[in-house]
Amino acid sequence: MLTIYILFVCIVSLLSTRVTPEVWGYFLVEDGGNYPITHWENVIGRAKSVDINIPLKTISNNQAILNRTKDRRWVFKDLGSKNGSEINGYRLKSEKSYYVNPGDEITMGGVHCTVAPASLEESRNNLFMREMDKGPVAPWKIMLAITVFQGLSIIQLIIGMGKEITLTALLSIVILSVVMWVYVGFFKSMRRRGFEMEMIAFFMTTINLTIMSSYNPADTLKQLVAALLGIGLMIVMCIYLRDLERTKKIRSTLIGLSVLLFAINLIFGTNKYGAANWIVIGGVSAQPSEIVKLALICIGAGTLEELYNRKNTIMYAGFAFFCVGCLAIMGDFGTALIFFATFLVVSFLRSGDLSRMILTIAGSGLMGLMVLRFKPYIASRFAVWGHVWDFANDQGYQQTRTMSFGAGGGLLGLGAGNGSLKNVAASNTDLVFGFVMEEWGFIIAVLMVLCIITLSLFAVISIVAGRSTFYTIGACGAATMFLVQTILNVFGALDLFPLTGVTFPFLSCGGTSMLASWAMLAYFKAADMRENASLAVRKED
Amino acid sequence: MRKQERRAIICVLIAAVLFSGIVIFGWRFVKHGSEWASFYGNTQIYTDGMINRGTVTDRNDEVLMECTKKGIFYNSDPSIRQATVHAVGDPKGNIATGAINVFKSQLIGYDILNGTYDTSSDGKKIKLTIDAKANKVAYDALYGRTGTVGVFNWKTGEIVCMVSTPAFDPAGDLPVDTESSYYFNNFLSGAMTPGSIFKLVTSAAVIDTLPNKDSFSFTCDGTNEYHGTDFTDVYAHGTVNFRSALAQSCNGAFGKLTREVGPETMKKYVDNLGLTKPIEINGIETAAGSFSFPSDNDVTLSWAGIGQAKDLVNPCSMMVYMGAIANEGKAVQPSLIKSATFVKELTGGKSLGKYLSEDTANELKSMMKNNVTSNYGEENFPGLDLYAKSGTAETGADTSEAWFVGFIDNNNSPYAFVVWVKDGGYGSQVAAPIARSVLNQLVD
Repeated sequence: MLTIYILFVCIVSLLSTRVTPEVWGYFLVEDGGNYPITHWENVIGRAKSVDINIPLKTISNNQAILNRTKDRRWVFKDLGSKNGSEINGYRLKSEKSYYVNPGDEITMGGVHCTVAPASLEESRNNLFMREMDKGPVAPWKIMLAITVFQGLSIIQLIIGMGKEITLTALLSIVILSVVMWVYVGFFKSMRRRGFEMEMIAFFMTTINLTIMSSYNPADTLKQLVAALLGIGLMIVMCIYLRDLERTKKIRSTLIGLSVLLFAINLIFGTNKYGAANWIVIGGVSAQPSEIVKLALICIGAGTLEELYNRKNTIMYAGFAFFCVGCLAIMGDFGTALIFFATFLVVSFLRSGDLSRMILTIAGSGLMGLMVLRFKPYIASRFAVWGHVWDFANDQGYQQTRTMSFGAGGGLLGLGAGNGSLKNVAASNTDLVFGFVMEEWGFIIAVLMVLCIITLSLFAVISIVAGRSTFYTIGACGAATMFLVQTILNVFGALDLFPLTGVTFPFLSCGGTSMLASWAMLAYFKAADMRENASLAVRKED
Repeated sequence: MRKQERRAIICVLIAAVLFSGIVIFGWRFVKHGSEWASFYGNTQIYTDGMINRGTVTDRNDEVLMECTKKGIFYNSDPSIRQATVHAVGDPKGNIATGAINVFKSQLIGYDILNGTYDTSSDGKKIKLTIDAKANKVAYDALYGRTGTVGVFNWKTGEIVCMVSTPAFDPAGDLPVDTESSYYFNNFLSGAMTPGSIFKLVTSAAVIDTLPNKDSFSFTCDGTNEYHGTDFTDVYAHGTVNFRSALAQSCNGAFGKLTREVGPETMKKYVDNLGLTKPIEINGIETAAGSFSFPSDNDVTLSWAGIGQAKDLVNPCSMMVYMGAIANEGKAVQPSLIKSATFVKELTGGKSLGKYLSEDTANELKSMMKNNVTSNYGEENFPGLDLYAKSGTAETGADTSEAWFVGFIDNNNSPYAFVVWVKDGGYGSQVAAPIARSVLNQLVD
């Protein structure tokens, strides 16, 4: 009941978010056209899909970009248009940015235009509209509910596990609870609002800790540390993401680091559970691919101008293929698939080129077939797909157990610590959906999936008022990653898709996965445009 | 920006894929949840491959089987164990129709809300409709021969006796071969040559479709040659009418009646009387019988009309047909699980439809009484208001299978029965005494 309440409030709040686009100024055309500018980044052109659509023949489809800078000035850039653009009679060089002041005459293909600032009335209206927007929900009630839930799950673990449960495991849950209160309290004191996403993440982390406690109490603390590191990383990333220019600059460093990480992994990688995607340093093992996921999104996201920059696109595609290639060599095809799907979606967001996307899929499909040929164990997973019950004791062992034990949990579950699935290999990672079904019940397991869907839909909704395509692509990329991970994890365990062995965000055990899930949240936070809602957006005074 | 807004729809599509996958799974979960939960790999409810909770009792609360974490325990009486093993099932689940297999999800106490969660972890109690003592009597009466005895209440549908032999002691060593006939329930899964008991089917067709049946007459010379084939009888019956032909079980007369009825009508009757379709008993499907009435071969048709040729009948379906005759033509679905409510007692069991018209049923009933009084001897069945037909199916040169089917109409004891003994000899001599013993046990 408590769970349903917690998640219901968060989900409804996030999904009912209505962000009104603000009017930042007007774009005036000499023939009397008067176009409100509602985005920070705008494409001007003849094409129907651009932001400022001027249907005149002398103007190119994508003529130019008009950007709002953080110091509230306007920057104009010609996108290599056929007839060129001029400001106050000065012929602009293509692909170069120029400041433009209100009143300056912009000439595009012989058409005279100008940028007008939003009137005072308009600004006031903006303010008014923002107040009309549905504000974030106050976090206190939800937090109280989560804390009660954490208390109950501790009791449940004690009942269910008896002497097997350790004090540190239970303490880990308590610490998580404390951290949650401190986190919210701290940012609340800085007049921040809007913690629904964090609440969802805290809740899912709580479930994760109970799973770890049930699976192996000794490792719960490790899991908590990973979550705390993840929260820390998320805060750092949020603050870093506030400044777009700064973020853009760090990308080449990220590429270098990612390549280095993968290279280290390829050379010193340790084979665990069939894929050499682990590195072990001083007893601490980590999965570099989880960290590179974060970089992939940052590198794939781009500001509007960058989307029209071929070099940027090629760099991104090259990086993505490098990653997928490395993962394939390591034998981690599940993660490779996630990277690939994310790459496809982000590419589509950038270029909108459906045909190229289909071609890429077709090409990689062929490569996939080759993989099936040369990697018999993967082919055998495909062979049992759809009829795991016929192979219940060999290839379908994990899936049948997941469904059987999961069904044994019914709608309400057997209670934390009472499950039997924990004796099956990878039950707390690849089969975590079944684990939740067994111990927490079908309803909560489905709600976990709905959480991921909610986060993703929120990313899509937030685009309307996004400051820069960088943030919206980032959020959509992160959403895709969460979604594809969840699809592969859940569908694989339930025989709706061959078992690939990837993690469920927040829910699956494993330090790096937990850390990456939290850090990934930064991309969602960066797209949250509700007033003062997001850590990743500088407060407006 | 606007382009990106539109393209973001792709994220919504991916989310939709995830959502629809969950919906599909949710549907499967509801549909197959109990099947999944009772999967033998589920260690929540299995210990060493054996189910670890749940109790099966007979209708009088006599414990037949108790599943615990320490193992499966059966009734202390070895003959009750063997007499009920096909109803209850063996520890390994080799008897496909045993309660331990088919009622597994009830045994473990699965329900969709709580799954297998059980505060006592003792599982649930399943009360079968069978009477352990009657089963024991039937088992003893079969006396080591291969056969089956089935009795059910033709008003409520409750199966009170279901014995199949060869049987074995589930608490002892189990037959190694999982395909062994020991694991086969003849009553539910068998299909045998019916022999003369099939004349009750032909008779139903005759009553309904031959207007001149009352003037029917046949002179039996004991050989009854027809187109070069002998429809031999035990002795020459002389001139018989329809009624006495059934009582004497005259093959010559019934061959002629079948020819008059014709193949199409015969086919319609085996279908209408539920002999060609499986019957569902609490989720268990019985075997279906099969018949062939050729329209181009009168000799084979005649054989088929007296229960020979390719005729195969399932004992349970025959028992249900007997119940329908007793119950004014209305067939009642048999059941093996005793329901907790009294509704069934008052309103009767679930109907399988009307097999016969009331008049036809009553006429058959009267003819079956006539069989008893004029042939089997009412004095041989004291205390039983018996209506019956015997059969001796010829299955080889020197082998015959004994049948005895029918019902009793005693107050408070409305039972229909079927007895089949392989390699038994004459139905009235071998199978009838078994029926008598079991019915006496039940009526007492």
